[in-house]
Amino acid sequence: ETPKPPAAAAVCGGGGSDPVPAGASPWWAPQPPAPHTLRDMAGVAGGGGGGGGGNDFQWCFSQVKGAIDEDVAEADIISTVEFNYSGDLLATGDKGGRVVIFQREQENKSRPHSRGEYNVYSTFQSHEPEFDYLKSLEIEEKINKIRWLPQQNAAHFLLSTNDKTIKLWKISERDKRAEGYNLKDEDGRLRDPFRITALRVPILKPMDLMVEASPRRIFANAHTYHINSISVNSDHETYLSADDLRINLWHLEITDRSFNIVDIKPANMEELTEVITAAEFHPHHCNVFVYSSSKGTIRLCDMRSSALCDRHSKFFEEPEDPSSRSFFSEIISSISDVKFSHSGRYMMTRDYLSVKVWDLNMENRPVETYQVHEYLRSKLCSLYENDCIFDKFECCWNGSDSAIMTGSYNNFFRLFDRNTRRDITLEASRESSKPRAILKPRKVCTGGKRKKDEISVDSLDFNKKILHTAWHPTDNIIAVAATNNLYIFQDKIN
Amino acid sequence: FSRRRERAARGLGAGGAMEFRLEAHRIVSISLGKIYSARGQRGGLKLHKNLLVSLVLRSARRVYLGEPGGECALPPRPGPPPPPDCERLRRGCRPLASEAAARGRPECPAESPRKRSAAERDPAAGYPGKKPRRETEQPPPQEDMETGNVASLISIFGSGFSGLLGKERGAAEATEPGQVCCEQPVLRSLNPWSTAIVAF
Repeated sequence: ETPKPPAAAAVCGGGGSDPVPAGASPWWAPQPPAPHTLRDMAGVAGGGGGGGGGNDFQWCFSQVKGAIDEDVAEADIISTVEFNYSGDLLATGDKGGRVVIFQREQENKSRPHSRGEYNVYSTFQSHEPEFDYLKSLEIEEKINKIRWLPQQNAAHFLLSTNDKTIKLWKISERDKRAEGYNLKDEDGRLRDPFRITALRVPILKPMDLMVEASPRRIFANAHTYHINSISVNSDHETYLSADDLRINLWHLEITDRSFNIVDIKPANMEELTEVITAAEFHPHHCNVFVYSSSKGTIRLCDMRSSALCDRHSKFFEEPEDPSSRSFFSEIISSISDVKFSHSGRYMMTRDYLSVKVWDLNMENRPVETYQVHEYLRSKLCSLYENDCIFDKFECCWNGSDSAIMTGSYNNFFRLFDRNTRRDITLEASRESSKPRAILKPRKVCTGGKRKKDEISVDSLDFNKKILHTAWHPTDNIIAVAATNNLYIFQDKIN
Repeated sequence: FSRRRERAARGLGAGGAMEFRLEAHRIVSISLGKIYSARGQRGGLKLHKNLLVSLVLRSARRVYLGEPGGECALPPRPGPPPPPDCERLRRGCRPLASEAAARGRPECPAESPRKRSAAERDPAAGYPGKKPRRETEQPPPQEDMETGNVASLISIFGSGFSGLLGKERGAAEATEPGQVCCEQPVLRSLNPWSTAIVAF
């Protein structure tokens, strides 16, 4: 009999299972395993959200969405993946400016195998290519980020953004229509008022479910540079958008103004040394946000301190290791993603070779560092040449903050269990895509004799990169975007 | 992958200094190519990527020219020479080159002393829009490597840059008012830093 996963922590006010509870042993001491660690339940998959997410789970293939063709259309390349707050909806954006939303099927006794499957719920064109005549530039329609709003009524709302414009979309269901109008026919033609001799009350009749997406707000013309992040505030009324040099604060109801809260543009552009790479609001404190830079630093700002948050409240930076310096040290230290833990106590940053977990109370170094693909350190010159060194990988937490996930090359992705410090490398490929097939761990051979089933660094396919991944907010379901395909994997117990 | 090249990039391997300069030379060429081709990209210039490329170009150029501060791009080697002020360099200040220090000019934060020295060599070079096309100057004689390739490469991209900047002058000024860099593209006076950034 397998235990049910514990319920996830509430978004506001509560923490997830915190591997370093306040008052326990100091951060530098090895942590005792958290309760329900999977070592105690060897062989039983699914210690639930609280136990850890790494290789103690049995990750199984669930579904893959997208074309099978070897020939990938550029517009179909997935550029962002995001679960909503309940995990019932999964949104993807692509380079062609489209948004596709999948919905999780409800449990259905007549079709037991489809429980938990995600099927297409809505598809719409969010952004179109635009032309900026003043600068003679085309503005790409690629969706850079999607962020869901917390659900407040029957409809769902999300923000989607390209390089310049953010849009608020309302996705609503319609399963009834009114019939029996007085002033118009069933086909919509107006009736002649003089012909109406009796009045009737229109009645609602069921119809086939229709899901409609409509743009409710368009937030435009506030960014000179390319937008890299949007983040909804915990007050559910405001959100921020960040480009290379500025961060703006918006109210969801107001589209004709925004407040500039961070501006790092120097008076003389020749003095520019760093840009903003990502920004996010704190999950509980609506006055706090962080932004990361291309120099590998993170600044935490408090909006109560001043209107323009150019002076940070906290500054996170790890001292450089001089022995690993190279021409490319600065590039690989550039942070490509920053994410708060659900508890709000930690944040995670992704740079080119590693993922770091920071305790918000400690600015001078991260509390945990995980190597994603250290074997690439000796290949940096070639990766610079083929532009791969500029790839921006994202990272994500599981619902209980006990595990983290990020992508790599060759369609590999990595999961790290923070409690047991174990990690696993898995592959998103059509070959291992039999329904409910357990994924086999992969290994990259870094030197010496290559063992069977290992792959050597030189055989890695650098065109197959996993930049975008998402973890369901409460369950062990992960969505992995591999170029134009979306893979969904589930823990076997599901 | 060339293992020798990769080890050179990390500052290891037999041949030491020569490998560094070879590697630096290669990186300078690759970087200039990236800056040049970035202008044709859909969606406009990517500030982040071009900033990173400029940083690499600056480091590689320092190593290639043997300038002080070039060692900051490489892991420290055991031995007597005092480490250069890498922190200053990382903040974007120029290293305290002896000639500029002798003139007592401020070295931070802008690269203005460098521009001024180029202008002194050629009065017409400092004026945006007034610079006539000129032949490549001879590369400075202290280069002990075969610099002909690199110098001509620089001049191709350099004149290509100012030519392109000239064509798109209206567009560039509408975005970011900034001084258009029209210097003679001699390797030493080429300021990839401002060229790349001001191009925005």
